[in-house]
Amino acid sequence: MQARNGHGNGRYYGEKLMNELTQESPRAQTDDALAELDYDNSALALTDICRSIAEVMRVGPSRPRRVRIALGAASVEVEWDGQDTPGSTAPAGQYLHGAGAAEGAEAEAVVEGHRECAPLVGTFYTAPAPGAPPFVQPGDRVEAGQQLGIIEAMKLMNPLEATRAGQVVEVLVGDGEPVEYGEPLVLIDPDTTGADDADGGA
Amino acid sequence: MTVGFGTVLVANRGEIAIRVMRTCREMGIRTVAVHSTADRDSSHVRDADAAVQIGPGPPRKSYLSAPAVIEAALRTGADAVHPGYGFLSEDPDFAEICAENGLTFIGPRPEVLARLGDKAVARALMTDAGLPVLPGSPGTVDSAAEAADLASRIGYPLIIKAAAGGGGRGMTVVRHSTDLLPAYRQTRATAQAVFGDNRVYMERYCDSARHIEVQVLADGHGSVLHLGERDCSVQRRHQKLIEESPGPGLHPQLRSAMARAAVRGARAIGYTGAGTFEFLVHDEGFSFMEMNCRIQVEHPVTEAVYGVDLVREQIRVAAGESLRMSQEDLVPRGVAVECRVNAEDPERDFAPAPGTLEEFVPPGGPFVRVDTHGRAGWKVPPQYDSLLAKVICWAPERDEALDRMDRALREFRISGPGVHTTVPLLRDILADPVFREGRHITSFLDNR
Repeated sequence: MQARNGHGNGRYYGEKLMNELTQESPRAQTDDALAELDYDNSALALTDICRSIAEVMRVGPSRPRRVRIALGAASVEVEWDGQDTPGSTAPAGQYLHGAGAAEGAEAEAVVEGHRECAPLVGTFYTAPAPGAPPFVQPGDRVEAGQQLGIIEAMKLMNPLEATRAGQVVEVLVGDGEPVEYGEPLVLIDPDTTGADDADGGA
Repeated sequence: MTVGFGTVLVANRGEIAIRVMRTCREMGIRTVAVHSTADRDSSHVRDADAAVQIGPGPPRKSYLSAPAVIEAALRTGADAVHPGYGFLSEDPDFAEICAENGLTFIGPRPEVLARLGDKAVARALMTDAGLPVLPGSPGTVDSAAEAADLASRIGYPLIIKAAAGGGGRGMTVVRHSTDLLPAYRQTRATAQAVFGDNRVYMERYCDSARHIEVQVLADGHGSVLHLGERDCSVQRRHQKLIEESPGPGLHPQLRSAMARAAVRGARAIGYTGAGTFEFLVHDEGFSFMEMNCRIQVEHPVTEAVYGVDLVREQIRVAAGESLRMSQEDLVPRGVAVECRVNAEDPERDFAPAPGTLEEFVPPGGPFVRVDTHGRAGWKVPPQYDSLLAKVICWAPERDEALDRMDRALREFRISGPGVHTTVPLLRDILADPVFREGRHITSFLDNR
């Protein structure tokens, strides 16, 4: 696997958790990027999830700081402490092998959320102009269709818009950094109402 | 004193991307791979110094997307782009966009690509340069009435080809006048669908012909050389399966006449880089079919008999350097054969048979070269070309080369659920007396 998305969104454990879940229960269905769990039997599902989380805690480098489980749309949040993760700001889109997610993402926080990903290759800008305030910051509420940033490609400025309403958790890529197709740029904690489909990850 | 490129982006995937990157590495050039989401785990991505994901699985949105490739090149500090074969390799617009963005396109100039990319124009240009062509339409055939009129003069069988076509696609053979108009309309529709251009042209069709092509190399300083011919007559539905150099049993005079014609044609259009003139050899004569303005899939057989790294010469020429050899230096030695191992099921009409390669052990041993992107555990993505590996064998004599090839194919271990390859068929052909004696023509496989 390539390791160029090493900007600390904890893909490693996210995927691992999902693998655990799907292995434990044949009824769990995974989508390509983020799994959408569709249980018809909540009690059984909860048992499965808890068993999987226990396993993740067992193999993880440290104990999670927070675990949150929501059964309605089956969302799982596991957060680890971030203080012992010097690689968490590994430059995104540096395109270099070896600048790996492995070291950077080891003990990263896993946040289940909605990732707005780069629809094309280019340069990502967080603000409308140099020195201007950014389009969004962590904690901001955004509506679907609201502009989150700009991707410059072939001298054209392409707006990046939120496809879901929610709260901005993190802007994952720095201003002026190169991004590749499908690279997660902004993490949004989506509003739960009407949040029915999995996000369009890479 | 060598002035070269610091970084080359390879705008391709699969075995050819790896092959180009190998030469880059030998030349001390940093390599950048591009890939779709479906190829995230592909070998060419692993082998590169850097890699950029440029789009989703469908080629139109990734490997054929000029803006995505250009952006990737600019973001990674590439000086030049090597397009490989297929995809953007013969796209004059792409070559021009490269130049506009300060990137060197490793291939001929955009205007040369544009003229030769139109097969009807190429045919006319080569006729003017004195190359023999089959009886056919002087340009494109733009109406059914014109088609009927021309057909009566050309005679049957004839072939209708897309002007924007190439690589064996977008052509129909017509054997009877009653089939002409339906075939004409259908070929135009196919050409429109596949190439976005419905113009077609017509030519006399030879049933009993060999596909012989001549490799040329030209620099920007007036030197145009040929590296002999390749016989690519083992085809199924116009797709090559086995190629070899030199062409078995070709009369020396015919061979040198074709080589001279190719050099003359390349000179006439101001060609630079590596290119291939495709000829049909029939009834003691030969006719120009089309020119391919890129490195060919089957280029390794030429490399084997001439001892020349064609990709290295492409890169050097693109960097403005002169060819280092003269025609006298280019002396072929022995015989080289290439077999294309495709992930296809010959038992099921060559339907693509991709799957996970549980076992993948390429052959080795003396004078065996394998160009492949396959590896054990890799899942062959279904949306791309089915070529999985090229096996190239060299020997002083043809029989020995064919025996060596059979030995190599026997060694090749490829298996996995749903995985089928052309290996059994290739070994079958290697044992066929018609092929062994070098008497095979282009219809050999389809009539077998």
